[in-house]
Amino acid sequence: MNIPTIVFSIFLFFPLLVSAKIDFVHQVMPILKKNCAECHTDGKKKGGLSMNTRAEFLAGGENGEMAIPGNIEESWFLELIESDDLDERMPPKGPGVSPEQFKILHQWVKEGLVWEDEISLGSSNWEPKLKPRVVNLPKALNNRTHPIDRILDHYHQDKKISSPSPTSDRIFARRVFLDLVGILPTPEELNEFLNDQSENNKQNLINNLLSRDIAYADHWLTFWNDLLRNDYTGTGFITNGRTQITTWLYSALRANKSYDQMTRELIDTEDEAAGFINGIKWRGSVNASQTRNMQFAQNVSQVFLGINMKCASCHDSFIDRWTLQESYDLAAIFADKPLELERCDIPTGKMATPRWMFPELGQVDPKANKDQRLKQLAKLMTHPENGRFTRTIVNRVWAQLMGRGIVHPVDAMHTKPWNEDLLDYLADRFAKDGYDLKKFLHFVMTSEAYGATSDRLKEEPGGSYIFKGPVPKRMTAEQLMDSIWQVTGTHPVKAEAKVDRSPTFGSNSTTHLKTLGKINAINAHWIWGSNAQTRKVKLRTSIDLESAPKVTSFLATCDNAFSLKVNGEYVSSSKEWTKPLYHEISKFFKAGKNLIEVDAEMFGGGAGFIAQFVFGKGDQKIILETNKNWEFLKNKQWIVATEVHPYGSGPWKRPLENAKQTMPELKQDGPPIRASLVKNDFLMRSLGRPHRDQVVTSRPAELTTLQAIDLANGEILSQYLAQGAKNLAIQMAGKQNFVSWLYEYALGRKPSAGEKDLLQTIANDSENPQQVEDLLWLVFMQPDFQIIR
Amino acid sequence: MNIPEQIQRRDFIKQLGLASTAALATNGTQAWGNDLVIHPKAKADSCILIWMGGGMAAPDTFDPKRYLPFEKGLEVNKILSTFPAIDTNVDGIKISQGLENIAQVMDRGTLIRSAVQPDLGSILHSRHQYHWHTGYVPPITVAAPHLGAWMAKVLGPKNEVIPPFINIGQRLEGVGEKEELKAFTTAGFFGSEYGPMNLPYPEQAVQSVQPPKGMEPGRFSNRYKHFKKLLDQNPNRDQLSDFQKESMLRSMESAHRLLQSKEKNAFDLTLEPKDSYAKYGDTRFGRGCLLARRLVEEGSRFIEVTTEYVPFLHWDTHENGHTTAARMKKEIDQPIAQLIRDLETKGLLERTLVILASEFSRDMMIEGVPGSVAQDQSRARTDKLKEMKQYGLHRHFTGGTSIAMWGGGVKKGFVYGKTADERPLMAVENPLSIEDLHATIYTAMGIHPKTAYEVEKRPFYATKDGIGNAATDIFA
Repeated sequence: MNIPTIVFSIFLFFPLLVSAKIDFVHQVMPILKKNCAECHTDGKKKGGLSMNTRAEFLAGGENGEMAIPGNIEESWFLELIESDDLDERMPPKGPGVSPEQFKILHQWVKEGLVWEDEISLGSSNWEPKLKPRVVNLPKALNNRTHPIDRILDHYHQDKKISSPSPTSDRIFARRVFLDLVGILPTPEELNEFLNDQSENNKQNLINNLLSRDIAYADHWLTFWNDLLRNDYTGTGFITNGRTQITTWLYSALRANKSYDQMTRELIDTEDEAAGFINGIKWRGSVNASQTRNMQFAQNVSQVFLGINMKCASCHDSFIDRWTLQESYDLAAIFADKPLELERCDIPTGKMATPRWMFPELGQVDPKANKDQRLKQLAKLMTHPENGRFTRTIVNRVWAQLMGRGIVHPVDAMHTKPWNEDLLDYLADRFAKDGYDLKKFLHFVMTSEAYGATSDRLKEEPGGSYIFKGPVPKRMTAEQLMDSIWQVTGTHPVKAEAKVDRSPTFGSNSTTHLKTLGKINAINAHWIWGSNAQTRKVKLRTSIDLESAPKVTSFLATCDNAFSLKVNGEYVSSSKEWTKPLYHEISKFFKAGKNLIEVDAEMFGGGAGFIAQFVFGKGDQKIILETNKNWEFLKNKQWIVATEVHPYGSGPWKRPLENAKQTMPELKQDGPPIRASLVKNDFLMRSLGRPHRDQVVTSRPAELTTLQAIDLANGEILSQYLAQGAKNLAIQMAGKQNFVSWLYEYALGRKPSAGEKDLLQTIANDSENPQQVEDLLWLVFMQPDFQIIR
Repeated sequence: MNIPEQIQRRDFIKQLGLASTAALATNGTQAWGNDLVIHPKAKADSCILIWMGGGMAAPDTFDPKRYLPFEKGLEVNKILSTFPAIDTNVDGIKISQGLENIAQVMDRGTLIRSAVQPDLGSILHSRHQYHWHTGYVPPITVAAPHLGAWMAKVLGPKNEVIPPFINIGQRLEGVGEKEELKAFTTAGFFGSEYGPMNLPYPEQAVQSVQPPKGMEPGRFSNRYKHFKKLLDQNPNRDQLSDFQKESMLRSMESAHRLLQSKEKNAFDLTLEPKDSYAKYGDTRFGRGCLLARRLVEEGSRFIEVTTEYVPFLHWDTHENGHTTAARMKKEIDQPIAQLIRDLETKGLLERTLVILASEFSRDMMIEGVPGSVAQDQSRARTDKLKEMKQYGLHRHFTGGTSIAMWGGGVKKGFVYGKTADERPLMAVENPLSIEDLHATIYTAMGIHPKTAYEVEKRPFYATKDGIGNAATDIFA
C-alpha cells in the first residue's frame, strides 16, 4: 500500500478528529430538512437557491455563493441562520436553528461540507400516485394487439428502437415452464409443444401449465415464502416466538385465492396466516424499532405497498417522505396497548394514533379494538382506489417474469417507473380481473413482450434501463435443485412443509381429522424381547376384523423409540417416550387379517414398548393391547414377547393418559417433493436461498466463488450426481442418444455437432456411472442451464 | 518510534481486487460516503478471531479475583474466582491458573478487561453472539454482515486464491441454536461472495479444496478442462455474453483456481511437520489454531477459530463450572500460545491481529448485570456449596468481560480497562462497548468505523450507525 507520510501532530489529533467528525446523514440532514427543505428543494428555489444536492447548494442563488467548504467566514448561509434580524434570518418562520444545531452546521462547514452524492435533501422529484389510473391504450402497431405490446411498441417507437423479436419456441417453452411451475419441460413435453402447429400453441402451453395447480404452488411458494418471511426452520422458532403460515399459503396458491383476499386474510387475520403480521418475537428486549408492533408496520408497508418504513421506525426518513409518526401510527393499529413514539430508542412522550398513511381512502377508527382496526386496515389496503397496492404486486410479478421490475428495485415504489402507462395499465387491469394472480400471469405471458428474445445486458444498467425484452434470470436455488432432481430422478422423499398435495385437494374427506374421544382404560403391558439389554427388537401381532374399522385409535410409546407398520405400510414413529403417540389410523386396516409390526429400539437403560389399539366405538369396540399375545423376532424365529411390567408399574409410571391426539405423519401423495418444500440446506443456502428472518424480494443475480466451490466439490451436489448417474445408467442402458436426450432435457436444445463429438469422447459409455456423473456435471454447470433466457 | 501516517478511504477502494470491484458494481451495494477520513496507518492486514463460544468467565481466565477453593458449606456469594492467580511474563499482570502457556506470551499483546455488553433482557447466547459478530442487536431489518464479511468486502482478499473469510470449528448443523448461529455466520446483504467458507472440522478442511469424495484428482481437473472446451463448442457462445454468464464463468474459474492451486495445501494439516503439529495438541480447537496459522501464512484475510458454541457445553457452564473451566483452559492454553509464538517466529505477528474473545463473562451470582431482569439460568443453585458441581461461575455476566489481543499493532504487555475487585465485577475503568471494540478492530485493520454501504437506499455502517470510536490507547 502506498501511503503518504505526514507529520506527527496529525496522528496525535486523530482520535479527536474522528470523534468530532460530523455525520451528515444523522446530524446535518435533520437540521436542513426542518429549516431549509420547504423552500429550497423539490423544484422550489426561493432566492434562486436550490438545495437538493451538495452541488446545487454550492452553486448558490441569486445573491451568489452561500456556502464554501472549509470557509466559515465566506459561508454566508451561516450568517443568515444566526441573524437576529427577522427580515433577514433563515428560516423566515419558526424558532429557527438552535445554538447546538448551529454548532453542528459550523463544524460541518469547517470539515468541508461533507454531503454524499447519493443523498438528496429533497424527496425525489417524482411522487407516486395513490389512486389507480385508467390508461387509454395507443393503437396497435403492426397488428400487435396485446395491450402490453400496444404500450411497449409506442415506447420503443419513441426511443427510436425496434421492438425485440420473438424468441425461439424452444427457449420460450423452457422459459414458460421455469417461470410458471419452476421445472424443466421433459423432452416429450418440449417436443409436443414444438410439434403443435396450432395458432394458439403458446396460449395452450401457458394454460396447460397454469392448470397444474400443485406444480404451480410448489414453484410460487418460494416467491411468497421470501416475500412473507415464512420458513420451516429459523430464528425465533426456538423460543416459540414465530409461527409458520405454510399450510395456509400453499392452499391459497393451489386454490388461486385472489390477491386481495389473501391480503385481507394476512392482515386481519386468518389464524393460520397470523405468523406474518405477528413477526418474530425475540427472547429478551429488543431495539424499539424491532418490536413486533414495528415489525408489523415495516412488513405490511414493504410487502403490500413497496414502502420502506425501516428508516422511519427510528427517525423521520432521510430518503423519502415517511415520518416516525407515520410508522408508529401504522404500528399502533396492531399494538395491544397505546404506543409511545421512540426516536432512536429514546421515548419522546408522544403517543401514536392508530391510523394509516393514506387517509384519502378512509381511515382506521382509533377507538376501535385491535381486531376491528386490523379488519379496517385490511379493507383500506385492498380498497379499489388503492393503486399503490396493485402497482406493487404487478411490479413484483413482472420482475419475476421479466427479470427486472418496471420499478426497480421492487421495494422502492417511490422510484419512477420506466413506463408509467404500462405500470398503471397492468395495475388497473389486475384489479379489474379480480386480483387474480393466475389470470395476470396469463395476461403478461401471452404478450409478445414476454415471448421476446431476451435482452443481453452487459452490465447492471442502473437507472438508464430500457426494456428490450426479458432480462435473463439466474435460476433460484430451488429451480436449480428441482431441475437437477428432475433430470436425475433424485428427489427427496420427505417434505418439511406441511402442505396438502393430494390430488383430491379441496374435498373434505382427505384431511379431516376424526376426533378420538377420551382414552380407554389401559391394561397393556410394557413388552420387549427375552433380553432386556437387546437394543433393537422387532415386535408383531395380528388381528382379524370382520369389517374395515370406521375409527381406530392407536396409543403407544416406547423407551426409547419405535416405528409402526400396518399391513406393510408405514404409519408413524416416535423417539420421545414421554410423548406418547395418539393417532386415528383406521385407513390402514381392512376386513380380514391385519398385520401389525413394530421396530422398537432402546438407547440405554430401561427397555419397553406399550400400545393400545381400539377398533370401532361403543359396544362394538375391539381392544388390542401389548402383552404376551405379541411376538418378537429372535434368530429368525418369532417367539412370545416378554411382559416386562404391567402398565402403571415399572420405571415409567403412567405416561399414556397424557397423550394428545395428533395426525400420523402424512404419507406424501402427489408428485415428487420439490425444493420449496424441504428445509434449507448448505447447497441451497450457498446458492442464495435466504435465511428468512427478513422480507426478501430478490435473489442474488450472480454466482459467487464460494458458490462455485460448492458446485465444484460440494458433498450434497456430488451425492445427487452420483445417485443420478446410477439412476440414469440403468434407465439409459444401451441407448445411443443419451447426450441428445440430456441436452434436450436440461438445456432445451439439441447438442451441436462439436458438443456431441466432445462429449462422446469424454463419456463414451453411457452405462459407466462415473462418466455419466461427469457428463451431468458438465451440463448442469453450463450457463445455458443455470440461466433462464 | 512509529511514523504516523494518514491514508484516505478512497485508497482502500482502489485496493480492492478486480473480482471484488466487479461484484461491487453489480450486486447493489455501493460504498456510501467515501469521504476523506484521517486514519492511522493500519498495521494489520490479517485477522484471527479466537472465539470462546458460550461465555468465558473472566474471573476464571484473564481477570482473576479473590480465590476461594472448594469447601463444603462455603457461602457461594463469597466466591469471585475458583482458581488462583498466576504470574505472567509481564510484571503486574496476573491471569488464572491453567493458562501457564498463555501467561508466557502476555508480553506480546494487550489485555482488555473492560469489555461490556448491553443488557438484552433475557440471555440467549446466540443473540449476544450475533451482536458481537455483526455489531447489531438482532432482530434488525436487513441481514447484517459478519465482522469477517466486512473485512472481505472492504479489504478484499489478501491472496486472490484464498477465500477472504474462513470460519473454523463451528458446526452449523446438528447443534442447538443452529438457526441463530447461521443468522450471523453470513455476509448478510453483502452477498455470499463475502461470506464464510465454513470448515467445522479442521482435519477435514482439505476436503473443501479437494475433488469430491471418490474422484481422482486427474478426473477432477479433466472435468474442468472439458467444461471449458465444451463452452467453446456452445453454438450460442457469442450470443450469451451477458454479465450473469460472465460472472458465473469468472467464479467457476476462481473456484477451480483455488482447487488446483498450491495454496490449497494450507488446508491440509497432514502436511504440517510432525513436531509442530503435535505442539497444537490433540483437540479440534488446537488443530483449528494450526489451520488458522497455515491459512494466514498463505494470505487469508479473516479467520475465526472457535472452541465451538454448543448450548450447555464447553464455556457454557450452567453447572460444574470449575471443572469445565479447568478442562477448557487445558484445551486452549497450549495451542493459543503456540499460535502466537509461531506467528512471531514467521514474522507474521505484527501484521496479524489476533483477538481472543467471548460473547460475555460469567459470575457466581449475577445474571446479566445488577438490576437486570434476565432470568437466572444456573442449574446448580445453592446458597452454600454442597457438592463440586455447584462450584463454578454459572451465571451470564455482561458487566465486565476480558478480551486479549496480540499483534496487529497493539501494545505489548499492556492492560486496558479494569473491573471492580468486589462483586459486582463491573468494568470500572475504560468500559469498552461493542461499537468501540469493533471500531478498534476495524481501525487496526485499516477500515474506518464509519465505513458504510448502501442497502435499501440507506447507509449501513461498519459500527452501528457509525458511532464506534477506537480505543486508540491500545495501539502501539
